[in-house]
Amino acid sequence: MRPGGEPLLAVRDLTVRFRTEDGPVLAVDGASFEVAGQETVALVGESGCGKSVTAMALTGLLPPNATVSGEVRFGGDNLQQRSRSALRAIRGREIAYVFQEPMTSLNPVLTIGRQIAEVLHRHQRLRGAPARRRAVELLDLVGIPLPARRLREYPHQLSGGMRQRAMIAMALACTPKLLVADEPTTALDVTVQAGILDVLRTLSAETGTAVLLITHDLGVVADIADRVVVMYAGRVIEEADVDDLFARPGHPYTRGLLDAVPNPARRSDGSLREIPGRVPVLASSPDACTFADRCSRADSTCRVHRPELVPGPAGHPVRCWHPLAPVVAGERR
Amino acid sequence: MTTVVELPTPTVVAPRSRRRALRRVLRNPLAAAGLVVVVVVLAAAALADLLAPYPFDLVDFDATLQPPSLAHWFGTDELGRDQLSRVLHGLRVSMIVGVMSVVLSLVVGVPLGLLAGFYRLLDPVISRLTDTLLAFPFLVLAVGLAAILGPSLTTATVALAVGLLPLIIRVARSETLRLREMDFVAAAVADGADDLELLRRHILPNAVNALLVQATVAVPLAIIGEAILSFLGLGVRPPIPSLGVMIASAQPLFRDGPWLAVIPGVAIVVLTLALNLFGDGLRDALDPRELRR
Ligand SMILES: Nc1ncnc2c1ncn2[C@@H]1O[C@H](COP(=O)(O)OP(=O)(O)OP(=O)(O)O)[C@@H](O)[C@H]1O
Ligand SMILES: [Mg+2]
Repeated sequence: MRPGGEPLLAVRDLTVRFRTEDGPVLAVDGASFEVAGQETVALVGESGCGKSVTAMALTGLLPPNATVSGEVRFGGDNLQQRSRSALRAIRGREIAYVFQEPMTSLNPVLTIGRQIAEVLHRHQRLRGAPARRRAVELLDLVGIPLPARRLREYPHQLSGGMRQRAMIAMALACTPKLLVADEPTTALDVTVQAGILDVLRTLSAETGTAVLLITHDLGVVADIADRVVVMYAGRVIEEADVDDLFARPGHPYTRGLLDAVPNPARRSDGSLREIPGRVPVLASSPDACTFADRCSRADSTCRVHRPELVPGPAGHPVRCWHPLAPVVAGERR
Repeated sequence: MTTVVELPTPTVVAPRSRRRALRRVLRNPLAAAGLVVVVVVLAAAALADLLAPYPFDLVDFDATLQPPSLAHWFGTDELGRDQLSRVLHGLRVSMIVGVMSVVLSLVVGVPLGLLAGFYRLLDPVISRLTDTLLAFPFLVLAVGLAAILGPSLTTATVALAVGLLPLIIRVARSETLRLREMDFVAAAVADGADDLELLRRHILPNAVNALLVQATVAVPLAIIGEAILSFLGLGVRPPIPSLGVMIASAQPLFRDGPWLAVIPGVAIVVLTLALNLFGDGLRDALDPRELRR
């Protein structure tokens, strides 16, 4: 995508299969995308379309019943070929994660300070006063007031929003090159969400950390992403710069997602317009468009031929036989 | 006697709520009474040398088989030894063997339970060990081992520790199985933690409550076990007064000096009852359903 130089993260043809009691599940189906240094990329899609699995696959975090193929190039080398211990050294130091559940993602019997110190010690052999100083600095960075005092507190003494900030502080402890944030605001109150998004936004500006933001909230995407990768049933179905995507969605699914955003300016009752139907759980990759069953534009081609991710009418890649033509601004309802 | 106590599945209890839990134990009158008795007995056992009115082995042929009196609160035995002094020392032996065997059992059993719960490949091996040990009732196992190893305080402790091992391994294993699925463990993995860190910093500290409860159940079991081993001549040997030894040597004299058997017997019952009451209270207090209030 980006001209000049190798991107920070390049995922090529990533495929993840799970062996389950109900048979095989194809969770990610040949996904390819890139994240450049200092860029914020949003990975969006409905529940179950493979976003979290993609994120976990990057550093080998999937359970043993998963089979992963494809390539994950990070800073020039293929993580898929790295040993377990090499991946462990990358996790938390080069690629750090923040998960959805701030209420349960912190160890309840260790103070916030101890948990940050642990990461610092693990990856940077930092201890004692320097580690403490760094921890205070980190809590300050993520906007936790009275950081020195918070360090001595236990997770249950912090609110959900403060815990998520602490999680972000832990993730940033070793100034990773890439922060993977998997629905970091979903479990939080709307009022608290904005604060967390602020932190994510300023952090990439201040620390130069690239962010892969996983979400199904397009409001969040519009707020902080530079680029958007849309997934559906394990496949990447559209990819564009954020303004481009919002202005000229090419895939009917993307359009459906955009229409589902509660936008008071657009729909006076503020209700969501859901896309009818659900994301299918596939056992194998069909030679068809996986969205065809839910798509009003689908025809016989869509059901028997696999669309490729190719530049659409708006110029950015779309995986659709009948992509939408760009609409003139203001024409959409 | 080998009853395995049904443990609650405390989700996770933070240190501060642990302190709150102790306060809740004390609000339960039975558990509080249990704790008071245990503390008093512990103090008495620790200070036996100071508190005992006579040396425990002081023979006085002028005062044999005396019933309880002001000079000898718990009476004297056939050699005129003061029974109060002997009970105090006996309690000390009981507490030492009881606590040490549980500590030993924890030292061996907790790592085994953690490994069994954490590594699927080791689980069948370690579970086979626990099942084998569990096939023998606790006391049969301890008696057998003590008989093989020869009677002494040390072998009694070791034999009881082995007998308690399955109780400890089981709790450590099931806690590990539960905790390894928790979000904070997954988060630590994503932060680059290795297995040792996960076990030491994340799983073990969160298993402490359940282990604590199981330990308070194991101590009275071990105390009774020690008394029975000593009674059978497989534990502590005379002249060291253990409660079991005292009951055993009082047996032929039951007609002339029933207090010789009854008083150490009551001491065992009171001590183990107190420990059990406290243990029950602790378990209830650490129960997450209670914690949510
Ligand atoms: N450990 C697993 N074993 C079997 N199937 C799994 C496993 N983890 C995920 N899956 C399946 O993979 C698919 C993608 O799941 P994933 O968690 O990536 O979805 P998601 O896009 O993150 O959704 P959400 O928005 O709900 O988080 C789902 O169909 C899910 O059932
Ligand atoms: Mg997810």
